[in-house]
Amino acid sequence: MKRHIERLRRATWTYKQPLTRVPAIAGAPVSDLFVWRNSEEWETFFELTDLPALFAGPDSAGRNVAIVFFDAAGYSFSEKTVEITPGRRNTLALSAIIGNVHGAAGTFSVFHTHTPQSLRALGSHLAERGYVSYRYRGAPLRAYVHGNLDAIARLPDQSLQLLGGQSFRLREYHLQHSLDMQCCYELGIVNPTSKKQRIVCRTLSANGNTLGSHVLDLAPCGSHLFKVAPKRVQQRIVMRSRLIMARPLVFRVQNQTMDVFHG
Amino acid sequence: MSFYPVLAAPGCIGQTTLYNFPPNNWEDTRKESRCVNLTWVQDRVWCSVTLGELAFGAMQAYARSDVVAYVPEDALPLLSLASSSFPERSETLPMGTHGTHMPNWRATLSLVSPLASTCYQGELDPFPVPGSLLTFAPFMQFGPGVENYMLFLNLEKSAQARTSTVEIYDSAVPGRRRGSFEVRNNAVSVVSLDGMGIGPENLPVTICKDMSGIPLYLSKTADGACLSLEHTHPPASYVIHGKRWDAQKFLKKEWFAKLGQA
Repeated sequence: MKRHIERLRRATWTYKQPLTRVPAIAGAPVSDLFVWRNSEEWETFFELTDLPALFAGPDSAGRNVAIVFFDAAGYSFSEKTVEITPGRRNTLALSAIIGNVHGAAGTFSVFHTHTPQSLRALGSHLAERGYVSYRYRGAPLRAYVHGNLDAIARLPDQSLQLLGGQSFRLREYHLQHSLDMQCCYELGIVNPTSKKQRIVCRTLSANGNTLGSHVLDLAPCGSHLFKVAPKRVQQRIVMRSRLIMARPLVFRVQNQTMDVFHG
Repeated sequence: MSFYPVLAAPGCIGQTTLYNFPPNNWEDTRKESRCVNLTWVQDRVWCSVTLGELAFGAMQAYARSDVVAYVPEDALPLLSLASSSFPERSETLPMGTHGTHMPNWRATLSLVSPLASTCYQGELDPFPVPGSLLTFAPFMQFGPGVENYMLFLNLEKSAQARTSTVEIYDSAVPGRRRGSFEVRNNAVSVVSLDGMGIGPENLPVTICKDMSGIPLYLSKTADGACLSLEHTHPPASYVIHGKRWDAQKFLKKEWFAKLGQA
């Protein structure tokens, strides 16, 4: 009986609440909503590789990717087509492409225009969850972070389908990271659902008391950076929303150095 | 239940921070103190000791210096949270029961130099044996004094020592191997990536035909003032939905056949 009740309880969190919905069209390419940053202090780069060629071999001459850029409000303001070369690494400097009139941060998606037959036969979709790097204040090294969210698909008519599921109940994402008082943090969050989402970002003390909170209404495809400057030791972050996993991208700045990682 | 290793890398010390609270509010609702267990391989058996207890909601950082009294220099320190202490000696890797999946219960795995630090949120579960690895890693960085390393992180249930070989190729020239390195199970094996003739436009492909692992990539300046750490995806992450594990098998079969065969 106890086990049955537990199964029912879990079902309220899992039934028809997928992290990523299936794209409407078979074989449609999928991408993360990667965060871009562009300012005097921040530059953004993307490691472009020919994913279809990894599956289908180098016979993919003339293939390319479409990179779609969104501002923080979720508005698609630009698209760029880039040719890809099998077996080569192409580190794209995105700041020059984005320009300086679309704000200091937003998101972008990378859609491969060819899905190999070997993947279509498996009922799978090619997913770009690749690697973004950020340079802070002209540092000699960029800091890398991988994509981790299959957020958006591009359909054959070039329309976009957001794939993020939505929870029936409010969920909390407890960032398992101890905030360092000597650092400043910016927590990037994106909305991969087709509905506006209210997100509450709370800062907790070591004993669990709320020290501060920010409330944000995020449009579909929108993004935001919550700024947190810890004033006490062992502070932590909780994100409350109807997103299935409100996992933030964490930028940690200490003096002149920066680190970035997924929460 | 996952393990949380204390990493090691040239010019850096490892530090791992554990959290006794779940990453969400619905999978594991127990609010209880948990034992911090330390586990390592010594004399071909798993050894464990309980370092202390972590109250619910608490977090605690452990550096290599905190475990040096127990763990031999060449062994990988593995931290974990469990409801009880583990046996002092065990033939197979001791395992607890708690955990979450959306996301996994994680720790902060850091590398700290005198001037900077870098980290990722991670966990380590035992890999199947023999297992294998295929990964494409566009992480190397270039410039005066910049060093690049791969940290091959492995954990298996058995404490019996074994080694394997990691091979690195340029994916555009799969017939010519650029480097070959021995790696150990239940360890973090450090591989220097510099000096193999891999440049900014080369896409390195790394394989290991009989051992799985998490390939971590560390770039650092010689003085340690700048660090970057990230891991690559397994090939299954290139696809979603459908038979994605079959896609991974397909990719491994294709590339294992292609590499070194010219």
